[in-house]
Amino acid sequence: MSAPGYHAVRDGHTVLDPRTAPPFPDAALTVLRNAQLRKNVACATDVIQGKRDRLVAEKADWSQLRDAASAIRAHTLEHLNEYLRQFEEQCTDAGGMVHWAADAEEARAVVLKILREEKADEVIKIKTMTSTEIQLNPFLQEHGIAAHETDLAEIILQLGNDEPSHIVVPALHVNRAQVREIFARTMGLPGLSDDPQALTAAARTYLRKMFLTVPTAISGANYLVAETGGVAIVESEGNGRMCLTLPRTMITLAGIEKVIPRFRDLEVMLQVLARSATGERMNPYTSLWTGVTPGDGPQRFHVVLLDNGRSAMLRREVERQTLKCIRCGACMNTCPVYRQTGGHAYGSVYPGPIGAILTPQLQKLEHAQTLPYASSLCGACYDVCPVKINIPEVLIDLRAQVTEKERESERRFFDPIYLGMLIANWVFASAARFSLAQRAARIGLWLFTRKDGWIHTLPSVGGRWTMTRDLRGMPKETFREWWSKERAR
Amino acid sequence: MTAGSRQVVLNKIRDGLGGITGEPAAGYADLPRTYQQHGSMSAALKLALMVERLREYDAEVVECAESALVATIAAQIAHSTRHLLTAPAGLPAPWLVDGVEWRVDHELSHKQIEEAEGVVTASFCGVAESGTIVLHHSSTEGRRVLTLLPDWHLCVVRATDVVETLPEYFARCAEPPPLATYISGPSATADIEMTRIKGVHGPRFLSVVLVRDEA
Repeated sequence: MSAPGYHAVRDGHTVLDPRTAPPFPDAALTVLRNAQLRKNVACATDVIQGKRDRLVAEKADWSQLRDAASAIRAHTLEHLNEYLRQFEEQCTDAGGMVHWAADAEEARAVVLKILREEKADEVIKIKTMTSTEIQLNPFLQEHGIAAHETDLAEIILQLGNDEPSHIVVPALHVNRAQVREIFARTMGLPGLSDDPQALTAAARTYLRKMFLTVPTAISGANYLVAETGGVAIVESEGNGRMCLTLPRTMITLAGIEKVIPRFRDLEVMLQVLARSATGERMNPYTSLWTGVTPGDGPQRFHVVLLDNGRSAMLRREVERQTLKCIRCGACMNTCPVYRQTGGHAYGSVYPGPIGAILTPQLQKLEHAQTLPYASSLCGACYDVCPVKINIPEVLIDLRAQVTEKERESERRFFDPIYLGMLIANWVFASAARFSLAQRAARIGLWLFTRKDGWIHTLPSVGGRWTMTRDLRGMPKETFREWWSKERAR
Repeated sequence: MTAGSRQVVLNKIRDGLGGITGEPAAGYADLPRTYQQHGSMSAALKLALMVERLREYDAEVVECAESALVATIAAQIAHSTRHLLTAPAGLPAPWLVDGVEWRVDHELSHKQIEEAEGVVTASFCGVAESGTIVLHHSSTEGRRVLTLLPDWHLCVVRATDVVETLPEYFARCAEPPPLATYISGPSATADIEMTRIKGVHGPRFLSVVLVRDEA
């Protein structure tokens, strides 16, 4: 059994883990120098966002659907206990087994125990971000169980020893030439072309046998229906349907927030999800199943309900809204920061604006403290969010919490910004000190002001500002000085 | 172990939600549902939209009258040049047309289904706005694997079962189905450079017979 401080390492390459990831600005800097990656990300996000915008525009009742989706999700979270208990009861009645996991460690242990009972040495997987959140694959590998991803993007990442950079199209940072190289090398196909059609066909062949022979599968869930105990999965490729239908045992790993009250609520959630996520009126395949159906699909079905920090986010409404998220990824595609850095810089399986608020909260702000600052607060994410999560509001709230935390930190006296703020506070408290400081700044900054009246470079901490922006030089006199002269006339 | 954490998680949720009380049912009834529930199109326009949407994602669509259904199924199968087909156990007997080797699903193995070149099924309904075909996996629609492994799916949809909006489909479900599959186009991916590629795992070819009402 691994310790709570389990840090997965895969072939010497650290997997996305907010506890060990570098601060966002450092990680972003590396990415910003990678022209190929930036091009891939910009291209992919442009395409999805364009499709999404067209399909949202054609939907006359879009804002009403958003209102309904947001209200359904908020209502569910306010009654999460009741709905989870109802889901558990209904799913159990239908022949499913419901497990509860307080944290990642327990969820991994539950999954491993089931797989051991099944005597499984391999397992096929439908794309699930939750399993990446709990680092399930490397954990299973350490315990002698090979986890095979079956979503095309996830295969690209798994075979390429890479990490997801988007929650809907996880391999959007990889281009066709790179995919060709990975498939040719790992599937033993030296003659493979870089035509996406050929690459997809190679994946189809690679997986077909696996689908027909591996008897155990793991999935995530898009929705858990409390009323029926049913689980819904939306997908495009059909790998989900394969995994949900062919194996004899199915394990669904789902965050506790994934529940919705009734079957009928899918009429709202499915409409907003497909348009927001991939810019389609409806995704090619949606599967819904309830417990075990004799003669159809897996005859043993387990659901693992994962908390892992979620329940702590229920306390305050501003934080709770984060859990309304239906993982469509629209906020990433529209975010001016994500579009430049891609997903890896966020150091978490949840990147982009939603990741910037979800990850620090899941980490109880002990890690990922730089993520709430990975935003210009432009609000584009809030505009596109199908469940109306006010992401900028949460970002500002989290920034305040980070600052509060820093205030208690011992190391603050070595931080020039903290000291600067302390001094500024003292200076601004008195008019005399303030006008003295203005005069001092005029003399001090005069040294750095060029002939054009602008400051292009500043030393020390000031350089952080002038690194990307110019600063206007101080005026020759302040308004107050000018006013007292005017009045004296 | 499972039971212990159940209470831990439920307690943490209860503590977190401390201030919120009240019956979920009351709040649920008040949820805003001002979105479009019912379609506004004429029957002819609705069917035309369904056909357009299906064709947009490269499904083959033919329309026929009820009296011509069996002949149309036969023609579509002949046109597909496929010979080994599978069918759900409850498929109407006349639909099992001559000239084809039929594997009717009486507990077929996955391998036997995989070998079939195509499958013929009925459907629960169609949703015109998104071109969605709904399967509830009844005895005429077959269990899930049947419409998954064969490369070609010939699906019969009745015009009377085509609704305009997704909420209209949900309104038709008196009871929530234990199993359902919503198909909106053949299996596809855009994972490589956003290039849409058809046919990753599910059937690569979808053919729809739309049965018109007998006026």
